[in-house]
Amino acid sequence: MKKLTEINSQRLILGALSVGSIFALYILVTSAKDNNPALLPPIPMIIGSFTESLGNGNLLSALGASLYRIALGFIFGTTCAVILGSLVGWYVIAEYIFDPLIEAIRPIPPLAYIPLVIIWFGIGEFSRVFVITVACFLVCIINVIAGMKNVPKVYVDAAATMGASRVQIFRTVAIPAALPFLFTGLRIALAAAWTTLVASELIAAQNGLGFMLQEGRRYFLTDQVVMIIIIIGFCASFMDRVFRMIQTRLMRWSEMRE
Amino acid sequence: MSKIIVEKVTQTFGIDSGSSLKVLDDINLEIESSSFNVIVGTSGCGKSTLLKMMAGLFLPTEGRICLDGNEIKGTDRRRGMVFQQDAVFPWMTVAKNISYGPRIRGASRAECAEIEKKWIELVGLKGFESSWPRELSGGMRKRVDLGRVYANDPDVLLMDEPFGALDVQTKERMQAELLNLWEITKKTVVFVTHDLEEAIFLADRVIVMSARPGRIRHVEEISLPRPRTSETRLTEELLSIKRKLWSMLEH
Repeated sequence: MKKLTEINSQRLILGALSVGSIFALYILVTSAKDNNPALLPPIPMIIGSFTESLGNGNLLSALGASLYRIALGFIFGTTCAVILGSLVGWYVIAEYIFDPLIEAIRPIPPLAYIPLVIIWFGIGEFSRVFVITVACFLVCIINVIAGMKNVPKVYVDAAATMGASRVQIFRTVAIPAALPFLFTGLRIALAAAWTTLVASELIAAQNGLGFMLQEGRRYFLTDQVVMIIIIIGFCASFMDRVFRMIQTRLMRWSEMRE
Repeated sequence: MSKIIVEKVTQTFGIDSGSSLKVLDDINLEIESSSFNVIVGTSGCGKSTLLKMMAGLFLPTEGRICLDGNEIKGTDRRRGMVFQQDAVFPWMTVAKNISYGPRIRGASRAECAEIEKKWIELVGLKGFESSWPRELSGGMRKRVDLGRVYANDPDVLLMDEPFGALDVQTKERMQAELLNLWEITKKTVVFVTHDLEEAIFLADRVIVMSARPGRIRHVEEISLPRPRTSETRLTEELLSIKRKLWSMLEH
């Protein structure tokens, strides 16, 4: 057995090495004489684009608009998914009613609804949030149902023989036992939210990160495109980190591998 | 008073699917109040099935099981069960596991604390109140399980090979402690095992079952003096009963 600190430092070194070498390669390629900065913008250009759009407020307002949409869509979508998914996974009657519906809708990629949503609701804020909500809901509910179905029977039986009612078992056994699945569902939903956000903003938006991407393409501002991609990457992985922290906090009881 | 009567019980699985399997056939049993009963049999004789029906986890295909004259139609707190698998809730601390039963019935915080204190001490887990189950050994988790069922104060204790997964030393210690708890509380116990020595060491009565379909083959009254100690395990009486029952198990 290696010491934990040793493993951690090893991990840090190897991680820095892999990121660093990609970085170095990019610098090398972009500093070549025949590099076209419109295709591969050198890093100073990307940083320049960043400071510029930060300075004139474009970036922050775009980020704000996008985060707002993500937050709304994620909260609506996952809340519905957790409530409905728990019921479907736990109560057979709910399963009989909703499962065929969910199974029918599930294979359709949420982006496919965008044209329909635009026809119905126009290209306003509602449409974008709606598509994100649908995407979050669909990926999350699958995990919630799976979590409920995977509650070990022995826990349920143990609670029942101690006199717990079905509702009490649901609250005190099924929910905590399904928590790992639930968190996976939330994290995948978050990833889906970002995907759908960019797609919906690419198609129809006057602001937001997706809009800035689209703008960058239209005016050949490749540095802006790359900058936005990096920002999205940072935001998405930061949010995922936060979720993992909450998960570790809430699930101190579980034997999770680091 | 907590007497169980099993009347003409049969259990057939998969009646709907066409390939039905009769697991239990015409079981008749009377479990006396406050007695310690052990059901032994080779695997597949339906002993666990019988126990789970006593718990109310499922119902007999024919016949009925009554506790004090009331037919058992579902689970309730009067019949507590300890399972072969690890049933301790990993998301609750030891103390919260112990007071689970009283807590879901709305016991106050003070009552729960009192129950936790009493049973944690009785099952020998003092100092581990706020530990998570994953931090405990298999034997200690079984203690939590046992304490939790006892803390719920059932009339009957149903135990499905509870010590089956433990090593021999831990198993023998747990058996002795279980007998202690039983002497204190005098609850009716029905204990299922395939381990003959365990059965004879613990029981007032050993019920031997035969397999496919499960039937009751023999009932042996065990009159070994109590309290039983580790010396009891080596006495000629115990060994001769073991020899006698062994021959019944094999054929």
